Amino acid sequence: MRLTVNGIERGIESAPLTPLLYVLREELGITSPKAGCQQGGCGACTVLVDGEARRACLLAVAAVDGAEITTVEGLGAPEALSAIQTAFHEHYAAQCGFCTSGMLIAAHAYLEHGGSGERESIQETLSGHVCRCTGYVKIIDAVAAAAGGEITSRQKWLPQTGEESPVEVPGAPA
Amino acid sequence: MAIHKGRGISAIEYPTGMNQNGDPSQAWIKMKPDGRVDVFSGTADIGNGSKTIQSQIVADTLGVPYDWVTYDNSNTDSSPVCTGTFASRATFVAGMAVKKAAENARTKLLEIAGKELEIDPADLEVADGEVVAKGAPQKKISVADVAVAATWTHGELITGTGAHLNPYAPIVDSETGRVELPPHAAISYAACAAEVEVDDETGNVRVTRLVQCFDVGTAINPTLVEGQIEGGAVQGLGLGVLENCYPYYPSVEHRGGQFGSYLAPGMEDLPQVDTIIIENPSAGGPYGAKGIGEMANNPQPPAIAAAVYDAIGVWVTELPITPERVLRALEAKAEPRREGKVVIFDEELSVNSVSNGGMRFEVPA
Ligand code: FES
Ligand code: FES
Repeated sequence: MRLTVNGIERGIESAPLTPLLYVLREELGITSPKAGCQQGGCGACTVLVDGEARRACLLAVAAVDGAEITTVEGLGAPEALSAIQTAFHEHYAAQCGFCTSGMLIAAHAYLEHGGSGERESIQETLSGHVCRCTGYVKIIDAVAAAAGGEITSRQKWLPQTGEESPVEVPGAPA
Repeated sequence: MAIHKGRGISAIEYPTGMNQNGDPSQAWIKMKPDGRVDVFSGTADIGNGSKTIQSQIVADTLGVPYDWVTYDNSNTDSSPVCTGTFASRATFVAGMAVKKAAENARTKLLEIAGKELEIDPADLEVADGEVVAKGAPQKKISVADVAVAATWTHGELITGTGAHLNPYAPIVDSETGRVELPPHAAISYAACAAEVEVDDETGNVRVTRLVQCFDVGTAINPTLVEGQIEGGAVQGLGLGVLENCYPYYPSVEHRGGQFGSYLAPGMEDLPQVDTIIIENPSAGGPYGAKGIGEMANNPQPPAIAAAVYDAIGVWVTELPITPERVLRALEAKAEPRREGKVVIFDEELSVNSVSNGGMRFEVPA
C-alpha cells in the first residue's frame, strides 16, 4: 500500500486492517494526530483524507490506500503558519493541546469548504471534537476570525486598570 | 408542558498556597554569555500556562525581554524539586520560587554591572535588557554586555536559585491552643450567574448563559486567566448537568466503561460565557497573584441549581441535574405525600422535596 502523507509518497508495511491513526503515529512517526478515545467520539485523531476531515482511528489503512493524507505537520510550518494555525495562536485557542491537532484539521476543512464563520455553523461543524481545557470559547473565536466572521461567543470585560474603562455590556457592573 | 426560564447565582471562596508544609517548589536560573536566560523549574505545564507565566515573572524580575527567557521544565535531571502542578499552586508557589531565583540572579547581575560601570550596585536598576544608573540614565550597559564581562573578564556565572515553602500552620498550636496562621496563604473569590431553560416535559436543563466573576489576585497574564475561567465554565456546566462517573453511587454498576458512555459537554452545549476578572492582589503570591486553576469549575453547578429552582420551583440537591432528577423533583413537588408521610428528603428519589422556598409541605387535611 502507498500513501502520500503531507506531500511525500510513502510505502506502508502495516497490516491492511491497521487503523490509519497507528500507521501515521507508529509506522511513520507522525504524532500530531492523537489517540484520544479510539472509537470515533473525540476528534483528536482527525486528519485530511483527500481533503476531507476524517477520523483516523476508524479508518483501516487498506480503505484509504493511495490517498493523500494531510496532518497538522502538513498545514504549515512554525515559520509559515497556515491561516487557521495563526488564528489559533493569536486567540490562545489551545491549552494542553491534546484536542488541537484535530480541531485545526477540522477547522481547516471548514474554511476550505467555505464555512461562513458564524458561531452556530462553527459549533455544528466542530461539535464532534471534545476539548476539556478551553471551554471552546477561544477555539470558536479563532475559527470565526480565520473565516472573517464576527466574534460573538462571548462578551468580555478586561481587568480594570487605571483609566481604562471596561467594554460596555448590558447589565455589567459600572 | 412548557419551557421555563430561570436565573441563579452562587458565590464561593477557594484557598491557595497550602500552609501545611511538604509543598515546596524550587527553581534555578543561569544567564548565558549573550544575556539570554535559562530557567529550570520542576513545574509541569499541563495547559495551564505555567511555562508562560513563570517566564513572564522571570523576565520582569530580571529586567530582560520575555523572549530572552527559555523555560526548561521537562527534565528531572536538571530541574530542582517541585511537588507539582495541582492545588492551584503553579503560579502561586512555583511562581514565588522562580521570582526569588530571578531576584538572586539580578543581584549578581547588578554586582558585575557595578564593576563594569564603577558604580555601587545599589545605585543601579535593570529594565528591558539594560542596566542603568538611577538618576543618571546616560550611564548604562546592556545586560548582554554584563553577561559577556561576567564570562570573559570576571570569571563569574550570573545565576540565582530560589525556593518557596509556605510556613507551616498547625491546625491548632499544641502549646497556646490557638491557630497562629491561616492554613492557606491566599483566598480567591468567585461568583457566577447562570441562566437556564428547563423543559418540564423532558426534564432537560439547557444552560444558556454563564456570567462569571473571579478575583484572581493579580492577572499576570489576563488572557491565560480568562482561558482558565472559560474552561472552568464548561467543566462546571458538565458537573452541573451532564457528568457523572457513578450515576447510582454507591452502586458502581452503571459507571461509564468507555469514552462514548460518559457525557462531557461538547461545543454545541456551550452557552454564552462572560468572564469578569477582578484584581485584588494577595500578599503571598508573586506580584500579588492568586491561584484559580481548581476553583474555576466550582461556582457553576450551584448557580445552575439555583437557576433550575428559579425556573421550576424545586431544588434538585444532587449533581448532575439530569432530566431524570428534574422529572422526579417535579413529581415530588406535585405529589408531596408518599405512603401517608410528609416527604422531607426522599433518599430513593435523590432529590430534596422541600421546595416552595424551603417551606415544608402542608399535609392536606
Ligand atoms: S481517537 Fe479517533 S475520534 Fe477519538
Ligand atoms: S486544549 Fe486541552 S483538550 Fe483542548
